Amino acid sequence: MFYLVKNEMMKLFGKKANWIYILILIIAVAIGGMVQQKLGGEPSQNWREKTQAEVTQLQKDLEAAPDEEKEWIAQEIQKKQQYLDENIDPNAASNWHFMNGTVIGMGTLVTLFAVIVASASVSSEFADGTIKQLLIRPHQRWVILLSKYLSVLIYSLMLLAVLIASGYIVGTLLFGSGDFNARFVEITLEGEKIAVVGTQFLLKVLYYIPSLLVVLTIAFMLSTLFKSQALAVGVGIFVLFLSSTLGGIMILLTEKYTWTKFLIFPHLDLTVYALQENILQDVTLPVSLATLAVYYIVFLLITFAFFQKRDISI
Amino acid sequence: MTGKALEVRSLTKKIKNKVIVDHVSFEVEKGEIFGLLGPNGAGKTTIIRMIVSLIGRTEGSVHVNGHNLDGEFKESMSEIGAIVENPEFYKYLSGYKNLLHYANMARQKITKERIEEVVRLVGLEKAVHQKVRTYSLGMRQRLGVAQALLHNPSILILDEPTNGLDPQGIREFRDYLRSLTKEGISVIVSSHLLSEMQLMCDRFAIIEHGKLIHVSSIDTLKEADRAAQNVVFEVSDSDQAIHLLMEHKLGAEAVKSGNGQFTVSVDKETIAAVNQLLVTNQIKVYGIQLVTATLEDRFLELTGKGRKEEEASVLSS
Repeated sequence: MFYLVKNEMMKLFGKKANWIYILILIIAVAIGGMVQQKLGGEPSQNWREKTQAEVTQLQKDLEAAPDEEKEWIAQEIQKKQQYLDENIDPNAASNWHFMNGTVIGMGTLVTLFAVIVASASVSSEFADGTIKQLLIRPHQRWVILLSKYLSVLIYSLMLLAVLIASGYIVGTLLFGSGDFNARFVEITLEGEKIAVVGTQFLLKVLYYIPSLLVVLTIAFMLSTLFKSQALAVGVGIFVLFLSSTLGGIMILLTEKYTWTKFLIFPHLDLTVYALQENILQDVTLPVSLATLAVYYIVFLLITFAFFQKRDISI
Repeated sequence: MTGKALEVRSLTKKIKNKVIVDHVSFEVEKGEIFGLLGPNGAGKTTIIRMIVSLIGRTEGSVHVNGHNLDGEFKESMSEIGAIVENPEFYKYLSGYKNLLHYANMARQKITKERIEEVVRLVGLEKAVHQKVRTYSLGMRQRLGVAQALLHNPSILILDEPTNGLDPQGIREFRDYLRSLTKEGISVIVSSHLLSEMQLMCDRFAIIEHGKLIHVSSIDTLKEADRAAQNVVFEVSDSDQAIHLLMEHKLGAEAVKSGNGQFTVSVDKETIAAVNQLLVTNQIKVYGIQLVTATLEDRFLELTGKGRKEEEASVLSS
């Protein structure tokens, strides 16, 4: 098994494209860092005075403002007062802030590349005709397929590791090394929430991994179902985009049709749980994880059962 | 079970009630080159793919060197080296890495020395570290043989091995296969080219419409031909000669073929008798020529018969 996985890794890294994905990831992080540095507010020593001044100004505005703006201004005042009360610089920047915000956002790129690699994994062997030479070896088919699956898994986790490492390096270079335990204000759908930046980052990474696993398993399944590499990769990416679009729509639908909450789409982005307790009232993290686990097992069963039986007649 | 490199018993493949391969059985001896001959689409490739377990069998069993493919899959597959149609490789890897890849998949440890030995054997020393993308078809073919031989298999299965090889390449390939069998390796080759089979194989099976319609050694075919051959005589008076032959009941059905020639089917001894008869009767004999019945004729005869039988069975059913 070890040698089979080694073989698959040799093939993975024998392809130039798979090196380029890693490179793109690093470049994207660097660009993201530079953009954030340019656009982000300047942290300063006397932010307390500035914020206090802003609050005072807003309070004056509040009196003069028309009724429809009053509510908004009141909210702003409350927000800024909170910064002061909690002693949190809203413009604070550090490598951890960068990683919690921008770098986590780039997880999408990791998913994208993982999907491309996973959906090419088996289908490219069909496209090149090498599958014939691969399957006439003294190994059961499912073992060979498993070695492919593991290699895709390893590659995807490597992409994630590269993202985190380059995020840390770029963040430290551009924003300086910050306090892991620094508190900050996270903006969520339900308003603002005060959290510890480092913990929040790790939590998001942790919640990201199950989604990555499920999405790449879907792509891997497509890869065994389709003989055409282009079709497999195309459908894989389509599913990826569909899931991110449908996730939102599905949540709206569940209000009308309760069964839609058992579809895979609302559960594919678990990082939401880093911000809030539940997606819907009765859909919490354990529910999402259980749903994903069921789908995961079904996808793997389909993949392996289909591949084991399949006639190789290309 | 002993002594046979490969035993195939009533191999059958049905796809949606359509019979692709119909109860095919044959055996391959150790050190023998065995051919599967038949037109394209006859089911040769399907038979080969069932033996190397690329496609499932509807029915039938395969024993490789005494190992049952069903119960002892790994042992059976370890005995097989194969090229299925064109040898395909990972083009973005070097020839050496491709071989390393397959060496890693063998049951036993394959040393670097063994890989180098096989590379030398197929004469790829110079190109082996280049990417396969740069290889010519002939080089890929040789790399294909190398990967099939890496793990010292007892049987080599080659599906249309000479596709895309030039005549020189085919010749070398043939000689090479012959040298392999001297080491006790058995070879199965498939082809739709009869002339190729004639030169390459010890025995061959004719496959037509998924059925094995004839197994024969090429030598016995030649023997059979020798029993009664068509012979063309060129004489001064063919009409009189034919008359004489009929009178003496020599040969069967002498046929005049113009320009003072006639053709008659006779065995070796009778040729001399006919010649003597003609000469003693003052008919000048200018030439005697054997018309060798080629395998091609036999092949057509056999497959033609196969087709008729099938048509008959279709009509009767």
